[in-house]
Amino acid sequence: MNDVTSIANGDPWVDTANGTVSREIFVSEDVFCLELDRIFHRLWIFLAHETEIPNRGDYVVRTMGRVPVIVVREASGEVRVLLNSCRHRGTKLCRGEAGNARHFVCPYHGWSYALDGGLISTSYDEHLPADMDKADWGLVPAPKVESYKGLVFAAWDPGVSQLRDYLGDIAWYLDTLFWRTPGGMEVLAPPHRWRARANWKIGSLNFIGDGQHVATTHAGPSTLNRLHSKKAGFFVRGGESFQVVTDEGHGCTLTYLAPGMPEGNYLTHPPALRDAYAEVLSARQISMMHHLRVMVGNVFPNLSFIENQVALGEKAVLIRQWQPISGTETEVLSWVLAEREASAEYKDRALKHGFHNFGAGGVFEQDDLELWASATQASDNPIAQRFPFSFHSSLPFDSAPIENARGPGRAYKPSNTEVAQLAFMRRWDAAMQPGD
Amino acid sequence: MDDERGIATVSDAAFLEVQRLLNREAALLDRRDYAAWFDLLTEDVKYVVTARVSRPAETGPLDYAIIDEDADTLRLRVLQIGDPKLTRAENPPTLTRRFVSNLEVEAAGPPNDYAAHTNLLVYRQRGTAPDGDFYAGRRRDLLRRDRGSLRIADRLVRLDHNVLFDGSLSIVL
Amino acid sequence: MDDIVRSAPSRSWVDAANGTVEREAFVGEDVFRLELDRIFHRLWIFLAHDSEIPDRGDYVVRTMGRVPVIVVRGSDGEVRVLLNSCRHRGTKLCRGEAGNARNFVCRYHGWSYAIDGGLITTSYDEHLPPGMDKADWGLVPAPRVETYRGLIFAAWDPGVPELRDYLGDMAWYLDALFWRTPEGMEALAPPHRWRTRANWKIGALNFIGDSQHVRTTHAGPIALDKVRSEKDGFYVQGGESFQVVTDEGHGCTLTYLAPGMPERNYLTHPPGLRGAYADTLSADQLAMLRHLRVMVGNVFPNFSFIESQVALGEKAVIIRQWQPLSGTEMEVLSWVLAEREAAAGYKDRALKHGFHNFGAAGVFEQDDLELWASATQASDNPIARRFPYSFHSSLPFDHAPMENAKGPGRAFQPSNTEVAQFAFMRRWDAAMRPLA
Ligand code: FES
Ligand code: FES
Ligand SMILES: [Fe+2]
Ligand SMILES: [Fe+2]
Repeated sequence: MNDVTSIANGDPWVDTANGTVSREIFVSEDVFCLELDRIFHRLWIFLAHETEIPNRGDYVVRTMGRVPVIVVREASGEVRVLLNSCRHRGTKLCRGEAGNARHFVCPYHGWSYALDGGLISTSYDEHLPADMDKADWGLVPAPKVESYKGLVFAAWDPGVSQLRDYLGDIAWYLDTLFWRTPGGMEVLAPPHRWRARANWKIGSLNFIGDGQHVATTHAGPSTLNRLHSKKAGFFVRGGESFQVVTDEGHGCTLTYLAPGMPEGNYLTHPPALRDAYAEVLSARQISMMHHLRVMVGNVFPNLSFIENQVALGEKAVLIRQWQPISGTETEVLSWVLAEREASAEYKDRALKHGFHNFGAGGVFEQDDLELWASATQASDNPIAQRFPFSFHSSLPFDSAPIENARGPGRAYKPSNTEVAQLAFMRRWDAAMQPGD
Repeated sequence: MDDERGIATVSDAAFLEVQRLLNREAALLDRRDYAAWFDLLTEDVKYVVTARVSRPAETGPLDYAIIDEDADTLRLRVLQIGDPKLTRAENPPTLTRRFVSNLEVEAAGPPNDYAAHTNLLVYRQRGTAPDGDFYAGRRRDLLRRDRGSLRIADRLVRLDHNVLFDGSLSIVL
Repeated sequence: MDDIVRSAPSRSWVDAANGTVEREAFVGEDVFRLELDRIFHRLWIFLAHDSEIPDRGDYVVRTMGRVPVIVVRGSDGEVRVLLNSCRHRGTKLCRGEAGNARNFVCRYHGWSYAIDGGLITTSYDEHLPPGMDKADWGLVPAPRVETYRGLIFAAWDPGVPELRDYLGDMAWYLDALFWRTPEGMEALAPPHRWRTRANWKIGALNFIGDSQHVRTTHAGPIALDKVRSEKDGFYVQGGESFQVVTDEGHGCTLTYLAPGMPERNYLTHPPGLRGAYADTLSADQLAMLRHLRVMVGNVFPNFSFIESQVALGEKAVIIRQWQPLSGTEMEVLSWVLAEREAAAGYKDRALKHGFHNFGAAGVFEQDDLELWASATQASDNPIARRFPYSFHSSLPFDHAPMENAKGPGRAFQPSNTEVAQFAFMRRWDAAMRPLA
């Protein structure tokens, strides 16, 4: 791993002056190893939503880079993130994806650990040397675990900043998706999971601000939804739209509904919840939500989110983890959420609607994945790698944020430039530098 | 008896009865309902699975048993894999989907009634591995009317495998 | 390969003072390449049982590290081990697993070799230069091939000691399993073969002395066998038990049946053979066999054996080769043996019983494999690699061998410590050091 680090000092991967990014970083195994080291085994990584593990002993099994972890609610109610590997000979404590445990008993030789990771017994404690301190041999905990508005993150570098500080200005936007009622959001089903033969960063870039691909890639659902919406008297005409970039390479893109449409087309959230929003959100946040058609974004490195209204009353909040498997493969986890206070019937529709568009069989998803895989495959050769990717359409815009933006962060118009994407790449490049 | 004689010599009614039995059996195994599955077997059931040694064509193939059970040992095997407390390999359980096809049925000598020959393809998925894999083979079952219904008295599964993949075979074929 | 050898670390993966071993030793590809060089392409490696190739020209195809070899009985009755690769362009001479040949004819251009490896003709001998000596162009023979009690070993380093000396004190125990009748043992069927995504050393450690895993990993067969044995009036209560460690990192674990059980529960080998045992074995060896419930062990590096009696009359001798494929994958070969003189009915039962428990679908095997694979997978990341495996439960015991052991080597009690496992790791670590 250490040897690989030196390549970070070679050619620039991200050429800010010219608005290009090397293809190598979207396919190379060396770059991937360095990403593990500098990003996934170090920085804040999203892992789960609190509502996936509501009760003591509830756990889900997730991955941070190549590190398998258990995300568990321990006896005190705290969430812990533990390396899913026995300290004795490495066996996985949890071999399923989710469950509930009173403690973790290794199925190989029977070492048992409390939910907080502490070693209870090796089953043969009488054979241990006197100077072995069992306190040193608990399940390895991630040194940093924090939740923000129900989103559980962990980091392996004990020196990372507080999660709230790391999120910075993007928190204002996350609030409107993940904590807009007093009860917060709830995951409606286990995450969809699928593999894609594409580099993980393509997913992050696509969500942080890729207004350019919608009309082309999603010609199918766009056309069909328009017909569908017209029938329902819901004109999905986009209005004002902009991108937001915040520190740490987070960002999002917001698109409003065009003004002048029937009032019923705006703020199509469940009427019963609208008052609850006012209890929790600021007036600025509520006015933003009132007209919102789509908010889509990414928290560096690999947590994406989207709320999207494609037809009347069809809304869903989705979150994504782009879990890197190699330089050229990604496992995608995709959750659908709704307000806890929403009616069962609303939740049911949100779930179906969310998956219809963005699940493992999503009508938007399927076209994206096909193209992302082909981009990765076509770039995975030395000839292609002589020719960097173009991020030119960020350059004329990214030094001119708009003046009176509706929320924090630096906002840019129009939304269909690549300002947020290049900001992501710059943050990525900085993270990959040795001293970062 | 292990090899097919080629021509189905039984009535359509008998053919359908055999097909129903094997379809029902596959569904029970995919559901991991081993108690109900065991009830489809005769009390003196024999259950053998073979793999193949790769040898020169001139020498001819050689099959060798990897499972060779009577009712007692077969019961032990399914008691183990059917009980979450008693199995590691099957907890979490393997997902399976059995495809039983190319059925040929012929009359069998006493005490059995029929010999049924089928192709078996079992899709298998373990853990969170994104790629499932397959066991494939030809199956020969001797079937006997016993305690009022047709049951499996003797099964031979000839797997088309040489070196088995990904650990140990922990499902019933 | 050469680069790695030159840069081979003189570092140690084994912390003998603290009883820990680096996880890297169980997942690293560099470690694996070094193992090939230092262990598998050098030391004595078990390949086959004599009875697999009884007649002239009989051969089996096996692997030593990454080296494919033919183990063949020559026309003089000698066993030879030949590199399975034509000297002309490298084609494999034998592409199946086993067979009988009068000579080895390469199917590419027709070079033919005698079964002792000598080059007979290139098919175009008339085109060869006069200076080419055909005697130099035979199939490459392993420089050392020796058989002990029917067990065929070979080594690529001509300087290794005699096999009998290498086996040392372990030979006494091997005798009790592999040469207890005048005719010796016989492999009852071709070996089961399967792949598993686990490091090969986990298998060796498991067999050399891992009593701690039995009741946890094998809760299933143990509970079920107990019920069955009680019905038969056979109480599989373990009695005295100990581990044996010998030079070169070989070792085994022996468990006796508890005393005071009905006489028929002891020495459940076929009555017809018991007389023959006395012809071959010493009184001490006989006494050991008489009460033995399980003997399980490993000859360094990757040859394991087990004789186990789980229910009345259900005994089988099984041998294993843990054939490494990479740092994280191995192929397992597993044979069942019985005394040549045993009745066909006994052999048939031994075979079924052996496979039922320890074959490619073995009820013991399946649970071990699942856990070994998960241990390898969970350890194969940089975070997990910071935390070594624990061999602590060897430390309080490994300086205190028993006084009056029943056989040669250093014996240790109790048997459920990790003394033998740690001895294996120390031997491994020594083998991995640069040659003097
Ligand atoms: S590997 Fe977990 S107890 Fe041994
Ligand atoms: S490669 Fe064997 S004869 Fe040419
Ligand atoms: Fe040709
Ligand atoms: Fe075991």
